[in-house]
Amino acid sequence: MDQTFLTTQVGSWPRSKTMLKALRGYQKGTVPKKEYLAVAENEIKRTVELQEKAGLDILVDGEHRRESFYAFITDKVAGTQLMSLADMLDYVEDKAEFEEMLRTMDMPASAIKNPTCTGKLSRREPLALEDFRFLRSITKKPVKITLPGPYLLTRSMWVGALTHKVYRNHKKMADDIVKILREELIDLRDAGCDFVQFDEPVLTELIMSEECERRTFM
Amino acid sequence: MHVCRGNWSKQEDVLLSGDYAKLLPALERMKIDQFVLEYATPRAGDIEVVGRALSDRELGLGVVNPRTDSVESVEYIVGKAEQALEFYQPKQLFLNTDCGFGCFASRSVNVEEVAFKKLCAIVEAAKSLRKKYA
Repeated sequence: MDQTFLTTQVGSWPRSKTMLKALRGYQKGTVPKKEYLAVAENEIKRTVELQEKAGLDILVDGEHRRESFYAFITDKVAGTQLMSLADMLDYVEDKAEFEEMLRTMDMPASAIKNPTCTGKLSRREPLALEDFRFLRSITKKPVKITLPGPYLLTRSMWVGALTHKVYRNHKKMADDIVKILREELIDLRDAGCDFVQFDEPVLTELIMSEECERRTFM
Repeated sequence: MHVCRGNWSKQEDVLLSGDYAKLLPALERMKIDQFVLEYATPRAGDIEVVGRALSDRELGLGVVNPRTDSVESVEYIVGKAEQALEFYQPKQLFLNTDCGFGCFASRSVNVEEVAFKKLCAIVEAAKSLRKKYA
């Protein structure tokens, strides 16, 4: 492989209707996990073929199994609950301001889901190790696995009304988040993953949004 | 590590805007090999800001906007990379999209056909750059 100007993409691929239907069914309990994963694997294979056809150097799986790049962890981490932003209206400090923020930022309250912390956090199963193993099995090219960063998770998972019963403050919760991410990173490294990318979009929100205390939960 | 300014809407004006200057003190302290950053949107500011401070790391240079329907030209991508080459060696420079094409399952910001063409444009630009800077 030529080691200059290596090409890749950030992570997620557009979801097909079939994929979305399987994901929603799995979340509702009407589609068995095995069936949902089989649909995702087909989508991942197609996404990998397209990247190979385009000639990309480092491949991703398109995150087809994921609700979003960070909310998917509710499926893997104990002490979490997947909540839509609409569900969270009952728990945010200032409802009117939260609704106004969703409206002005063109943020769809039902489409964006949050991995809210409601209990002691621990890794029930690896976050992305199986994603890596599957991706490794279908391509010979170097691959990249994406994980949500510790800052993003700390900021989104903390919902005072629900989290305060378990953790005294953000920092205590963040200690457990960092532990989970470290364990995952070590597992991925030991399994031979070429690249691990941590996603931290919320860092810009802190310094660029007019209102630093604004909580977009992403 | 990847940083962007939001990828939930196709309305560019509701997404965040500003260069990386205020983040530099935090980024400089991180033990990270590569920063994967947006640069295909003018909202991301000048490459110089990061280039001057973080050229001891790799840069994953964002060269296509995942939210638009038009595909960036190879010349545009090569031009972006050449701006970065003022601060980075070719082996430190990775070419990528600004963000994902579907960060939220229910809110993909593009369709597969356009996404594929954008990847092809990135690959063509890399070929052209390798010829020029081999």
